[in-house]
Amino acid sequence: MLAMDQGMVEEWLSEYKTFPETAISSYAASLKEKTSLVPALYKVIRENYSDLLEPVCHQLFEFYRSGEARLQRFTLQFLPELVWRYLSVSASRNPHHSGCIEALLLGMYNLEIVDKDGQSKVLSFTIPSLSKPSVYHEPSTIGSMALTEGALANHGLSRVVYSGPHLQRETFTAQNRFEVLTFLLLCYNAALSYMNSSSLQSLCHLSSRVCICGYPRQQVRRYKGINSRMLVTSEFLVQLITGIHFALCNGEPDLGSKALDDVLYRAQLELYPEVLLVGNAIKSSLRGAALKSNKEGTRSIQVEITPTSSRISRNAVTSLSIRGHRWKRHESQENSVDSPDSTPVGPVPIISVTGVSGERVANGEALRARTEAETLGGTTELGLDPRGQEVRRQKSLRRHVEDGTPSAGRLQF
Amino acid sequence: MTARKSGSRIETEIERCRSEGQWEKIPELVRQLSAKLISTDDVGELLLGEMKLQQFLKENPLKQNCSPRTARPPLTEARSHLTNVLQRGNLRTELLQEANVLMGKLCYVEGDYSEALTHFNRVNLDDMQLSSAPIYRLAMIAEAYATKGLCLEKTSTSCPPSSSEGDQEIITCYEKSGDIALLYLQEAEKALSAGMQNRSPKPGPVSQEQELGFFLETGLQRAHVIHFKNGNLTHGVGRFREILRAVETRTTQNLRMTIARQLAEILLRGMCEQSYWSPLEDPPAQSPLDEPQCTHTHPEYTLPRRARIYTGENLFCPQENTEEALLLLLISESMANRDAVLSRIPEHSADRVLSLQSASVVYDLLTIALGRRGQYEMLSECLERAMKFAFEEFHLWYQLALSLMAAGKSARAVKVLKECMRLKPDDPTIPLLAVKLCIGNLHWLDEGEGFAKMVVEMQDKAAEFRAKGFLALGLVYSLKATDASLRGVQEEYQKKALSAFQRAQSLAPTDHLAVFYLALQLAVSRQIPEALGYVRQALQLQGDDVHSLHLLALLLSAQKHYHDALNIIEMALSEYPENFMLLFTKVKLETLCRGPEEALLTCKHMLQIWKSCYNLTNPSDSGRGSSLLDRAVADRRQLNAVTLPDFSDPETASASSSSLMMSLPSSPSSLFFPLSSLYPTSPMPRSDPVGHVFCDHFPRRRLSSASSVHAPSVAASRVEQALSEASSLQSSTPKHGPLHPWMTLAQIWLHAAEVYIGMMKPAEAMACTQEAASLFPTSHNVLFMKGQVAELRGNLEDAKRCYEEALAISPAHIRSMQRLGVILYQLQRFSLAEKVLCEAVQLCSSSHLGWHSLAEVLQAQGNMAAASECFLTALQLEASNPIMPFTILPRAL
Repeated sequence: MLAMDQGMVEEWLSEYKTFPETAISSYAASLKEKTSLVPALYKVIRENYSDLLEPVCHQLFEFYRSGEARLQRFTLQFLPELVWRYLSVSASRNPHHSGCIEALLLGMYNLEIVDKDGQSKVLSFTIPSLSKPSVYHEPSTIGSMALTEGALANHGLSRVVYSGPHLQRETFTAQNRFEVLTFLLLCYNAALSYMNSSSLQSLCHLSSRVCICGYPRQQVRRYKGINSRMLVTSEFLVQLITGIHFALCNGEPDLGSKALDDVLYRAQLELYPEVLLVGNAIKSSLRGAALKSNKEGTRSIQVEITPTSSRISRNAVTSLSIRGHRWKRHESQENSVDSPDSTPVGPVPIISVTGVSGERVANGEALRARTEAETLGGTTELGLDPRGQEVRRQKSLRRHVEDGTPSAGRLQF
Repeated sequence: MTARKSGSRIETEIERCRSEGQWEKIPELVRQLSAKLISTDDVGELLLGEMKLQQFLKENPLKQNCSPRTARPPLTEARSHLTNVLQRGNLRTELLQEANVLMGKLCYVEGDYSEALTHFNRVNLDDMQLSSAPIYRLAMIAEAYATKGLCLEKTSTSCPPSSSEGDQEIITCYEKSGDIALLYLQEAEKALSAGMQNRSPKPGPVSQEQELGFFLETGLQRAHVIHFKNGNLTHGVGRFREILRAVETRTTQNLRMTIARQLAEILLRGMCEQSYWSPLEDPPAQSPLDEPQCTHTHPEYTLPRRARIYTGENLFCPQENTEEALLLLLISESMANRDAVLSRIPEHSADRVLSLQSASVVYDLLTIALGRRGQYEMLSECLERAMKFAFEEFHLWYQLALSLMAAGKSARAVKVLKECMRLKPDDPTIPLLAVKLCIGNLHWLDEGEGFAKMVVEMQDKAAEFRAKGFLALGLVYSLKATDASLRGVQEEYQKKALSAFQRAQSLAPTDHLAVFYLALQLAVSRQIPEALGYVRQALQLQGDDVHSLHLLALLLSAQKHYHDALNIIEMALSEYPENFMLLFTKVKLETLCRGPEEALLTCKHMLQIWKSCYNLTNPSDSGRGSSLLDRAVADRRQLNAVTLPDFSDPETASASSSSLMMSLPSSPSSLFFPLSSLYPTSPMPRSDPVGHVFCDHFPRRRLSSASSVHAPSVAASRVEQALSEASSLQSSTPKHGPLHPWMTLAQIWLHAAEVYIGMMKPAEAMACTQEAASLFPTSHNVLFMKGQVAELRGNLEDAKRCYEEALAISPAHIRSMQRLGVILYQLQRFSLAEKVLCEAVQLCSSSHLGWHSLAEVLQAQGNMAAASECFLTALQLEASNPIMPFTILPRAL
């Protein structure tokens, strides 16, 4: 470590103590200008035996405890590096050198799991439902939705807990290690927009290394550090992926996609469906988006003018068209096909593929006829062999067409 | 203006045609009009000029991203009409404005931007009346603003870039254009539907879906495109939200679908919880989302008339970025779903690809959003709706399978995975996922074997996964060996399992799991020293693996090094303080090493851990994902009131437990138990968890073991097994259904009861058993323990009845069978005892207790030769008997 860096870190360590309460906010704002401080602190954390590590950890904790958002984010930016340092040291079974890092991580965790009043924090969110009006939609225009168990249960808005409440932790154990780290990453992810590129890069490195150390891929990546395998949990990996996703789209496409690949590689070996699910989705959603590796590190969120007219040709059979379609027995009765608002002559058999029912119900009879039709066709829903399904669907379709008239007659009288 | 009477009819007709874009009717109407009107041909000129221009645009639509470079000829006619009007200038102001605006548009089409701008500057666009304007004029004004914006952009590119003031003017033009366009579309649709009702059945090919056209499209979208290009996310997002909040029209559906998806993308990719602001809040003055250099001054403007937005009471307004993203994606999904192209004829393949693409982007984003929040059940339902797109689409099938798996719908997941294997036969992960499910709670061993073999047979294609394949195969065989009832079959499977584990280990020497299972398999077949060697190796590879440590302790206990075993357990507990499996073993070891009082202290400690682990859940949340406790316990105080009987002091212990028994109705546990009486009455937001577990997992396990009587150890410690499954997950997230906490609690009580039985204290043992019984009144473990207490009290008939009941519930419960045999023997019913014990020995040939009792019965019957053989077997088995069966350790991928 260069003497200059050391001097800067030492200055940083001493100056904070001298500030009165009132000056903290302006101090927090001024931190941004010390451009070489952050790299110097990274060096302290990365170095093996640094005398500065302990006071630095202490200071970072003081920042976190201050309650000033900018100071907290200053500490938070080092989280990926701290986590890596902690994990690599505990994997090398030399737990004596990470004591202050452990203390810092646990301290941050214990601060985050309680709210201002000291009550356990419970993080929850509302699952929106299309059946309730929102600022963006009106339920009636959405059309009827599939009547599934989930749709019924979600008829109202439901509030769901996604994290918490958590127990206070005094020490790291093998059992609580990833519970604590996962929660810390959740906090980090909540502040992702404020993280600079060195922090995002550190996150990508952390993700890659945790996932490949001790596996054959380590050679491919030419990473020479520790080579014992690290245990992970699927929740931890999902949190990592969330951060990687942000990094991928905000200036770190190369490191990000490498990290994503490594996490997916590990998830395959561990057979974690949750991680595979989210990772595959990110990969596939980015394949379409032009991820230009813009050198300036600008955000790669790009929006183009898109044609507003439907790009799907009018005569293709779609879920919508098939709902409005009426099956005729005789070619000659071709009079009022195009006006969908006139009352249907006979029942409207609906081919239900996912149980989406039609919007226009002429009367109760038509509805009943449809439910009959659905029970007929419904059994073939979501068969596992799509080819067979197609054939069966067409068969049942023909049956509807043939059945159309007699049942109409019965229903009309 | 004089011939008002019939003239007005024609005028309205003209207005209608202009609004609906039926330009081909205009010439005829103009002829009629000029016949009626005396004074001005100029109106006709204007109309004809407009007609020519619009028809030209209809035939040669402008495209985004390419400059109009039209040669003059086709538009000369239009130009001359309009020039005439403008030169004479004797029309009303509004009509002159129209003429100017049209002229500007024409100039733009011809590529003459500065001339266009002079026309737009001649009319102050802001002066054009919005209120009470006819519909066509709304469109015209919107187009005028858009065209002006386009011209300004074209002319400013020559100037130095990012003259921010000029930029602002451009953006304002586009924003106004977009706002008015939305208003126009709403009004046009209103008029159309009114017309549909009034007019007689004259459907005609009325432009059901009006095309927006180049100018309106630009006006609606260009503003936010510029915002994003400038790195001003805050304003871009604000613009998106404004467009989305306007009430939908048929024409804006596709736009809304796209914008909703794009906004969701931004929310998920570029925002975080801390930088989010809700749609009804003002954006933050400073945001990390924006490029530092971009200007934050955004000119506010007011329009006299705006598009209607969604209003009403109790409108849902998202408060968090994931919430908003989800809402947008659900809206987008409902539209994408409607456009699913179902026909499979080749002509529609391009359409199919389009509809698939737009839908799969939405589903991917939904996955990202819901996955972040752990809502896999809802996700699996969403992805199921994607199945109409999924024919031969691997990605969609695979994602559905994974979501089903994550949501715990194992059986369906396996079926979907099979389809994935068909679509992508080379991917070893898919069959491995299937095996994981099969040897998990599905217990579909034959299917699992098939999947594992698929991986193994992939040879080099599977690479690193081949080791995993052998591991899976070994686990299948190992479980089959446990289930097998015939000794020969058992041994054969054990051999197969061993060799599979060995292959796995040789392929992946650094995988601690392979070594661990090798050790476990050796332990199960009682090769204790070999097993010890491997378990040490596993611990070298992964020092804090809880199961390896547990196995080491059990192996030491099999060698009767109880103190060493206890030390290992305590060491493991320092890393896994809340692991109940370890604690149960600790209770047993402590009873032997340090006496029952110590063991009771551990039981008490376990109750405290249980309370601190599961009491944390917040009762106020009522969504999914929260544990059973918050549902079952209406009031948190009730749970806090659970008093733990003090086991340390025998006097108070018996007092408190008997008081517990006597005051049963008010005893804390009876407040929420029995569970069966709970769920019909309690107001549960979602009925599934309790019912789900009871009618899904539990009976299935029960059925699986009941249908195959060859599942001795499955039945023997079913609760333990379920426990081990659950405790392999983190204790704080009981994912496998909310039954687990209660099972753990019952198990703790039963262990305490056993310790009391060892201390010859039937009353205390009974009290503990009763606690467990109030949780699971029909558990065979509870009934077995009641039998034990009855035996201790010397009540053989009661004990016999209890054991029989336990066996009625779980026909293969080995301990009940063994005790029943002993009781029958004590009741002098030798031949029946012999039969029961023979069965017990067959079901579990590794338990020395069964052999020993059988030997005693045979001895009493005078069958000395057979008896001595049995005694010998018992002796041999006892020498390698662990304190808890090895099979309590989970065997899972």
